[in-house]
Amino acid sequence: MGVIVASLSLIFGLLVVSFPVSFPRIIVTSWQGGYLVLVMMVLTLVLDAFLYLRVSYLRSSKPTVLVAACLGSLPIIVVGGLSFLLESAVTQTLSLDLPNVQGRVNEEVLAHTYLGLVAAVFLPFLVIRLLQQFKTTS
Amino acid sequence: MSIKWLLWIGLYLVMGVLVPWATALSWAHQHGSELRPRPRQLFQRGELGLVGLVVVISVIWNLLQSQFMQQTIAVAAVLLAVVGTMAGDVWIESYCRLSTGTSCNPERTWRDSRNLAFLVFSMAVVVEILLDRFAKVAAL
Repeated sequence: MGVIVASLSLIFGLLVVSFPVSFPRIIVTSWQGGYLVLVMMVLTLVLDAFLYLRVSYLRSSKPTVLVAACLGSLPIIVVGGLSFLLESAVTQTLSLDLPNVQGRVNEEVLAHTYLGLVAAVFLPFLVIRLLQQFKTTS
Repeated sequence: MSIKWLLWIGLYLVMGVLVPWATALSWAHQHGSELRPRPRQLFQRGELGLVGLVVVISVIWNLLQSQFMQQTIAVAAVLLAVVGTMAGDVWIESYCRLSTGTSCNPERTWRDSRNLAFLVFSMAVVVEILLDRFAKVAAL
């Protein structure tokens, strides 16, 4: 799982380095259009489901209701929660008398998109792992 | 775009991975030993996780120095700290298991530390790229 998240992270980094103007612009335009959060939710849900099915297949284990509930809800909660933080960061940036405000907002959106993607794929599996550990010890 | 972030990560790879490996080879040569450790043998007890933890500390420090909004810094720092702690824990768990004689699977320790170090490095690189971009935007 770590390798998949690391690969996702590197792909994001490569896109930022290879297309330093157009890739961030796509993200910022999506955010301004109001569908960035929705796209991120769908993307992370699909990735999480794919990862879980792959791990289940490799370990020959059956999917459980608890895990399905975690994987179904946590990416949405994480992306939703981070979008509130992004709105708060953007509002704060706009309220301060800073130079190049639009550029700063764009960079905040780019950073939150990256952090949201990584967190929404990584954290559900971490929670599942902790729950399994708790179940084993109890 | 500058390559500052590339130099930064290269420095950690050289100082954290290549230098210890070269030192081990140098020691073996100096003492006339047949020892020719591969990186996998040198870091078989999860030491790569420790390198990952050190990288994370450095990135969090750079984040705290940046002009990103506090919300962004907090999210990035917490996420990096979680991944870094997990990487460091691989080394700690291996040490505890070996010290207490509890069963320890070196293959698993190596695999976990390598994967988590890869995750830490990939996240560190992207965060440094984002910091680099933001510093340029803020300087305009």
